[in-house]
Amino acid sequence: MNLLKNIFIQLGSLDRRVIFLIVGLSVLVPLVKPDWVSLPVRPKPHSQIVFDELNKLKQGDRVLLSFEYGPSTMPEIHPMSIAMLHHLFSKDVKIYATALWADGNFMSTDAFSDIAPKYEKEYGIDYVNLGYKPGNEAVVKGIASDIRALYTVDLKGNPINDIPMMQEVHNIEDFDFLFSLSAGFPGSKEWVQYATDPKNIPMSTGCTSIQVTDIVPYVENGQIKGILAGMPGAAEYEKLVETELNSQQQEIQPGEATRMMAAQSIAHVVIVLFIIFGNITYYLTRKNQRKGN
Amino acid sequence: MLLKRHIPLFIVVGVGLLTLFGHFINQKDIQNFVDNDSTQWFDIIASFAIFLGALNMLKLQMLKITRKQKNWQYSLLAVIGFAFAVFAGFFFRGANFITLSQISPESVTPIAELITSEFDLENSTIIEKKLSAENAEYEVPKIFITESGAEEFMEKLEPYNVEMVIDAKPWGAHMQTEGSLFSWMFFNIFNPLSSSMFALLAFFVASASYRAFRIRNFEATLLLVAGIILMLGRVPIGELIPWWVVAILIVFGIGALTAPLIKDRRILVASIVGGILLFLGVGVSLGWNEAPPAALLIPVIQDWIFDYPTTAGSRALMIGIALGIVATSFRIIIGIERSFLGE
Repeated sequence: MNLLKNIFIQLGSLDRRVIFLIVGLSVLVPLVKPDWVSLPVRPKPHSQIVFDELNKLKQGDRVLLSFEYGPSTMPEIHPMSIAMLHHLFSKDVKIYATALWADGNFMSTDAFSDIAPKYEKEYGIDYVNLGYKPGNEAVVKGIASDIRALYTVDLKGNPINDIPMMQEVHNIEDFDFLFSLSAGFPGSKEWVQYATDPKNIPMSTGCTSIQVTDIVPYVENGQIKGILAGMPGAAEYEKLVETELNSQQQEIQPGEATRMMAAQSIAHVVIVLFIIFGNITYYLTRKNQRKGN
Repeated sequence: MLLKRHIPLFIVVGVGLLTLFGHFINQKDIQNFVDNDSTQWFDIIASFAIFLGALNMLKLQMLKITRKQKNWQYSLLAVIGFAFAVFAGFFFRGANFITLSQISPESVTPIAELITSEFDLENSTIIEKKLSAENAEYEVPKIFITESGAEEFMEKLEPYNVEMVIDAKPWGAHMQTEGSLFSWMFFNIFNPLSSSMFALLAFFVASASYRAFRIRNFEATLLLVAGIILMLGRVPIGELIPWWVVAILIVFGIGALTAPLIKDRRILVASIVGGILLFLGVGVSLGWNEAPPAALLIPVIQDWIFDYPTTAGSRALMIGIALGIVATSFRIIIGIERSFLGE
């Protein structure tokens, strides 16, 4: 018993590099060998709501897709973008992309160039990328009142008035749905406050795990229809889209987030174990100190 | 004094009042100002702010380099990176593309096959379709950073006798064009560096949780338990945790709470063990192995934490922040708060 106690007390002074190594391995091994750990992905209610809302859209409906994330949050949010483009393009929904973050331009360009050719979608007819404008909330407010006052050209430099699918679009009220792919400020909250809530446009969001606590009040209030919460949310949405497209005899590969779920699960378990061991060590050390006193 | 204090104060108070009244006065011009003009003013100022930010960053880094302050080498890297981004953004487009025209029907298939194999594309059918369209002007789906790279590819197309023109994407659009120099810099330098910085968080979180996440008091315990449930409930592995694990943890929790009231340790241990056996017995007899109650499933508990305590806490925070913003804005509008003037 004493030996066990001593081991735990010794573990308390474990070098942080050992912890780093264990965490690194817990992430790396499932990524390198995904077949070793196979975990079921079951959609949670909030992800299901997002999917149902988007699935309700009809052919020709207009969706404003806002890219508010960058490389640092790419692993969490980008799989959502990819799955969303699969979902919306398969339904022949018209997609209008915008970015509140400068990095968002690259994210949207990457997602479109990856998915649009697979559905033979044409730029300017099936989707358009308006790009980034500085100004945070002011950009959201500008889109809510008059897009043309804000954007004169799209991301490729084409005049807005020359783009076929922009002909009947003037402000946020011309969209049927808004989806914010958000990693912080400005993002989903600003869309709710300055655009979708005042103009009564349905919106939903996919955000980083860390942001969920900030967004959840809007979700519970119905101002945001469901939420894709971090990478698990992305994996759940990928699963729903995969099931939907497979039911339509369309082939789709499992998404990036689904592949990364094993790594994230193991990493979470490792951190939880660290917390438990840390507390046992703390308890034993304190007990020893009391005895010493 | 007039320029540095009174005029800025007058602008802030004036614009603040106008924007505030815009929400309450149903007058077309005021509403137009609030909805359209003011947002455009903001956009213009924000665009200039980016320049100011860049210049400020450059000034600070240059000072660090010239004064050889601690870690000045990193500042040098920052300046080089900045200069490279400016070069790729403003001076070198690096987004050349080739347009093919006057394509004879017999060249369509070999050209499509060449493009498909050269650029690792999935199938050549779509390319063939585009190439064979009447009066087709086909843009090769590849961006060349240098003109010489484009010319090299054109040499491969020379046997097919097609008209070839090298052009470049327009300024501005070149940055987001996949394959351009700026895009290359973003995806090959900025992207991995930024991702690595963020990924380091996982290591720090693990190390910090091992050393600092301690059961010191009731609040810390609550935080720790909620944290663990969220961490496990958010990921698929949470689905695999059986109901009896949660049941045992609940009994342990009750035991921990009642421990100070029970002085005899044997009674405490016996109560906990008895409680666990009773809980498990009831569960098995009620068939919880096949259909466990939702309240004993980690993902369901995690959802409940998000939907109720988290929402309540977040709402309280949001209301507090909003009240603070109202108070600060009011102080600015009536000219009491002057910190923006540097006072």
